[in-house]
Amino acid sequence: MTEQTGVVSAASRSPVSERADCLIEASDIVRSFGQTRALRGASVSVTAGEILAVMGPSGSGKSTLLHCLAGILAPDSGEIWFDGRRIDAMGEAERSALRRDHFGFVFQFGQLVPELTAEENIALPLLLAGTRRAAALARARPWFERLGLDGLEQRRSGELSGGQAQRVALARGLVAGPRVLFADEPTGSLDSLAGELVMNLLTAAVREQGTTVVLVTHEPRVAAYADREVIVRDGKVNSLAAGRVGS
Amino acid sequence: MIRLGLRLTLNGGREAAVRLTLIAAAVALGVSLVLMSLAGINAVNKQNARYAWLGTGTVPWGTSTSTVPASPAGSAGTSTTGQASAADPLWWLLQADHFAGQTIARVDVAATGPRSPVPPGIPRLPGPGQFYASPALSALLRSTPASELGDRFPGHQIGTIGAAALPAPNSLIIIIGHTASQLSHLQLSHVPGAAEVTSISATSPSSCSGSNCAVGAGINAAGIDLILSVVAAALLFPVLIFIGTATRLSAARREQRFAAIRLVGATPRQVSVISAVETSVAAVAGVAAGFGLFFLLRTPLAAVPFTGAPFFPSDLSLSLIDVLAVAIGVPLAAVAAARLALRRVRISPLGVARRVTPRAPRAWGLIPLLAGLAELAYFVAAGRPKTTGGQVQAFVPGFLLIMVGLVIAGPWLTMVAARLMARRASRPATLIAARRLADNPRAGFRAVSGLVLALFVTTVAVGVITTLVFYRGAPSGGAAASDTLTAQLGYGPGEAINIQGRSASAPVSDALLTQLHSIQGVQAVALIHTDPLGMKISAAKMGLQPSFGSVPADLISCAQLSRIPLLGRCPAGAQAAAIPSTGFLGLDQSLASTTWPTAAISGQRLRRLPVQAIFVDTNGSTSAIERARTALELAYPYLPSPPTTIGEFSAQTSRTTLEYEQLAEVVILVSLPIAGCTLAVSVAAGLTDRKRPFSLLRLTGAPLSVLRRVVALESAAPLLITAVVSTGLGFLAAGLFVSAQLGYSLRPPGAEYYLIVLAGLAASLGIIASTLPVLDRITGPETARNE
Repeated sequence: MTEQTGVVSAASRSPVSERADCLIEASDIVRSFGQTRALRGASVSVTAGEILAVMGPSGSGKSTLLHCLAGILAPDSGEIWFDGRRIDAMGEAERSALRRDHFGFVFQFGQLVPELTAEENIALPLLLAGTRRAAALARARPWFERLGLDGLEQRRSGELSGGQAQRVALARGLVAGPRVLFADEPTGSLDSLAGELVMNLLTAAVREQGTTVVLVTHEPRVAAYADREVIVRDGKVNSLAAGRVGS
Repeated sequence: MIRLGLRLTLNGGREAAVRLTLIAAAVALGVSLVLMSLAGINAVNKQNARYAWLGTGTVPWGTSTSTVPASPAGSAGTSTTGQASAADPLWWLLQADHFAGQTIARVDVAATGPRSPVPPGIPRLPGPGQFYASPALSALLRSTPASELGDRFPGHQIGTIGAAALPAPNSLIIIIGHTASQLSHLQLSHVPGAAEVTSISATSPSSCSGSNCAVGAGINAAGIDLILSVVAAALLFPVLIFIGTATRLSAARREQRFAAIRLVGATPRQVSVISAVETSVAAVAGVAAGFGLFFLLRTPLAAVPFTGAPFFPSDLSLSLIDVLAVAIGVPLAAVAAARLALRRVRISPLGVARRVTPRAPRAWGLIPLLAGLAELAYFVAAGRPKTTGGQVQAFVPGFLLIMVGLVIAGPWLTMVAARLMARRASRPATLIAARRLADNPRAGFRAVSGLVLALFVTTVAVGVITTLVFYRGAPSGGAAASDTLTAQLGYGPGEAINIQGRSASAPVSDALLTQLHSIQGVQAVALIHTDPLGMKISAAKMGLQPSFGSVPADLISCAQLSRIPLLGRCPAGAQAAAIPSTGFLGLDQSLASTTWPTAAISGQRLRRLPVQAIFVDTNGSTSAIERARTALELAYPYLPSPPTTIGEFSAQTSRTTLEYEQLAEVVILVSLPIAGCTLAVSVAAGLTDRKRPFSLLRLTGAPLSVLRRVVALESAAPLLITAVVSTGLGFLAAGLFVSAQLGYSLRPPGAEYYLIVLAGLAASLGIIASTLPVLDRITGPETARNE
């Protein structure tokens, strides 16, 4: 299990793109929304198995960067590569399939389908991938014990606390064994205690599965769980840092 | 707080404006439909009231009969003054004539003194050799050769009948003046309908206790009140549901904003006031626009012959009560609906929480439905009430209970089906849709309740009509039936019709036969003679049930029969054959293959026998039929039934049935678009309420097709489930009704009904499909980013 022990390093590293284990690489990304330029030539690389924290003030473009890296948004210019495949050149259907098959997501709130039970919500990515219902639910069940959600299998999202709902969302993001988990302010709607619990569980689970994590946050305490930090400011990734909380 | 509500509503930015416009537009549509339904009912009653004067002399006199007393025959205006007892009697004869498939109401009148009553629409009674014609008939007289129409009417036109006497703008009516001696002679000759009257009837055909109060056209069924009550309920119910659904548009967004208002210190009561103000503004704007839409569509709507005849635009009017009920009732109902909806959510300063899983519908919701069916079943066992009013009181509550019961039981049925579906679902779309339906079956059912009612009403109407047609005879048709003209001169030996001092059944003059044969387009003339041999024809021979026994026969020359194959054929070598007396003729093309028994009578003797009927077979051209008809009418004026084609005769006998069918079609035609609109609004509202979870699902890679399937299933499942239930119940209710009211067994409808139902379902599914592009737009990445 992970345990918060504080920031242990903040050393600069050589460009990850030169490394053989680079999983995602974005170079010179530009993305505008109307007249607003959210990203102005952002470049970043993510190594397989690392937890990368993307930090920055509100409106800096960090969520836009995450959405571009995850294939949710197509950049106006620049290139994004995932495991040797160029994401920015893919069509919407291909990007959807990529997200479904290789990526998991955790957002700040409101991501559970309210009509489904917690168990069904966790099994949803598997059902979407074509797994049979019984098999999908069987794979979902162990996550309840793992994330301390025992007994909540049949609850609906409206019957869960914020922390519980976020842990269900985390299980949903990881149940299909994604190669990358994208987390956008996963503790943003939680109190500090619940936030810490979620982050501890998140880091433990991804390390156990070897999942790469791109974590958007504006909280240094959350960023401290990452192996490395980048800071987005004015649409550019203009600094690199590394940090580690726990093991 | 009211001022704040108004500010939020009117100056709430683009989103608030769009929401206001959407709700107002939906309410406007609903209100205009309500107004059209109410005005339509008023119009049917007004049209019926203008038939009243045509019932003069045929309406049974009694306490329930109202009459317009006489006024001096020479005075201007309609009869409004004086006492009936003090009036000079008016000779009166009303007959139905035909021209090119249209019915002409012909009224022959003769004043006996200066105080004879004057019918409405004309300034004074026409004198001998004069007539008034309705505008449509006047135009027809001008455009048609006299030998085809004008020659039938003695005298010359002195004026046009005013709108007060016209059931419809295109009514064909003529009022012909005679001397009193001319018409009194008709009574002496036992011409049916010729009578002295002292007042003009003001009894609406809908109040008649008879079934043939007025000749010609319009709704003269005794049970019109029953039909109108059901039609009104069938139309108003779905419209009110639609309005209720419309006011729930964007409810989730509104509730989020209310939470923000609570955060800054507003009390729940203040939030309620703001909500009421918002809803009222939208509803009032919608009501105003709805009235505008109604008046805009009134004129084109009046031209649609819903009852078989068009209305005057002024017929589609609203009473003060109608106006007040809609103008006040709709905004009040909208506010009540919004308030009720707010009670279902818990709006706290920290956000909106749905009251977790709304209470599941209970099985007792089936009670009203079962009670309605039991009520109808009771009258099957106990027998129907004797009076029309009693029947209305007996059956209307039963049908209304079933309709209300369907709406109450619908959510329970939806829930049961959804739970079954969820249990068996293996695909995520099916699972999500089934769970949502099972969680809130009321919301799922609400969207389709309008269509369910439309299907129920349609099924009942079609079931009843199909049964009526089966037992009372379907309208015979076909080209041959429409091409053959029949003049009935007598009804068997001893019942010869006396025309101006001579028996109509006397042998037909050679001059008439020559004239008929000389008409271009007349192909054959056949004479049906009385049978001195006393032959009988078995019912089975005529294609009727053997229980009818046998019917009297008439005789026909085989040479003539061979030229009118519609009537059947002779055995080989026969000179004459016995055919069913014309009163018993099925008038159906199926007779064409029947071989009638030989009549042992010589051709010479046959020609000397009295004639019962003349059949004139034509090539079907209007000119040939109408010239032949004119010639027959001039030769045999004032026959009880003026010459008609078999097609016209069938159309007349099946008129009431067709009017019922017409009303049923109106219900279908109006209900389906309403239900479709309700579905569209409900689907759109459901989508906007679930923007965030759906858009996040898409972000995580859920294909759009999965979300589309969710929406389609959520709407289609309750639609299809309840459609099956409502059509089944429709057949059951129709079966109970025809059994109790008419003593018939329900007959299954033809393919047309199933096509209408399938088309209705397809249209509704199409409307659901039309909302799917919205899904693509509102669940795009931008939504997840900005929510």
